[in-house]
Amino acid sequence: MTPPRSFSVFAIVFAIVYAVVYVVAVEKNYALVTYHPAIGEFGAGVQPPRDGPAMYWYGWLATSGIAALIAGLLASLLPDSVTRRLWSGWTWATAVAVMLVFCYLLRNFFLR
Amino acid sequence: MNTTTVLLIVHGLLAVALLGAITHQAASVWLPAPRPAGGFVGRFRAVPGAAYVNAIIVLYLLTAVLGGIIYAEYRIEVRTVVEQLGLWAQNGSFELKEHFAAIGLGVLPAYWYYWRQPPSQGSTRTRDLLTAMLAFIVWWNFLVGHILNNIRGFGS
Repeated sequence: MTPPRSFSVFAIVFAIVYAVVYVVAVEKNYALVTYHPAIGEFGAGVQPPRDGPAMYWYGWLATSGIAALIAGLLASLLPDSVTRRLWSGWTWATAVAVMLVFCYLLRNFFLR
Repeated sequence: MNTTTVLLIVHGLLAVALLGAITHQAASVWLPAPRPAGGFVGRFRAVPGAAYVNAIIVLYLLTAVLGGIIYAEYRIEVRTVVEQLGLWAQNGSFELKEHFAAIGLGVLPAYWYYWRQPPSQGSTRTRDLLTAMLAFIVWWNFLVGHILNNIRGFGS
C-alpha cells in the first residue's frame, strides 16, 4: 500500500508542530490534564499538587498531540502547489533541535 | 509480585525487542552489508529494513504506553529516593528519557511514510535520519531505564 501524497504533508507538519508545541507546553506548563498519582485521579488543565506530586507529562502529550493532529489535518487539505516545497527533513531536524533544547533546559541536573 | 512489577518486566521485554529491531534496521541503512553477507555482523547488517517498520511502530507504542502506566509508580516510589540520594545526573537522565520518548512519538507517522516510499523517490536521507534518531532514543531510554531500575532495586 502506497500512502497518498497528502499523508506526507500531514506527517511532516505533525512532526514539526508536535515537537514545537511539546517543548513550549513543557516550558510554559500548558498541560491539558494533570495526574495526581498518590490518589490516582486526573484533573482537567494544570492543577496544583494534591496529597503528593502532580504529573503533567500526560497533559503535555495530549496538548501537543491534539495541536499536531489539527495542524497536520489542516495542512493536508492545502493545495499541492503550496505544499510541494515542504522539506521532508524538517521532521528529523525539528525533533533533534527540540531534543537539544531539552538537554539545555535540563543542564543543571548534570552540572551540580 | 505486584501489578507494577509485572508491567515493568513486560515493559522491559518489549524494550529489548524494540532495541533489537531498531538496531537491525539502523545498521541495515547506515552500514549496509555487501551481498552476500557473511558472518554474524554481516548478517546482522543485511536485514531488509522495511520489514521491521510496522513491528517497530507497534513495539514503540506498546513500550511507551506501558512506560506511561508505570511512570506514576516511578514518580512516587523511585524518583523520591533518587532525589533523596542526590543522584541528580540520573534524575536528569530520566527527565530526558521521558521527553525523548515523547518526541519519538511525534515522528512515527513520518517514519512510517518515508519507509513506504521507494528509494528512487529521493527521500531516503530523511528515512535514514529518522531511523537513526529513533535508534538513539530507544538506546538512551533503554539504558537510562535499566540504570534507574538498578538504583532503586527490585522489590525494595
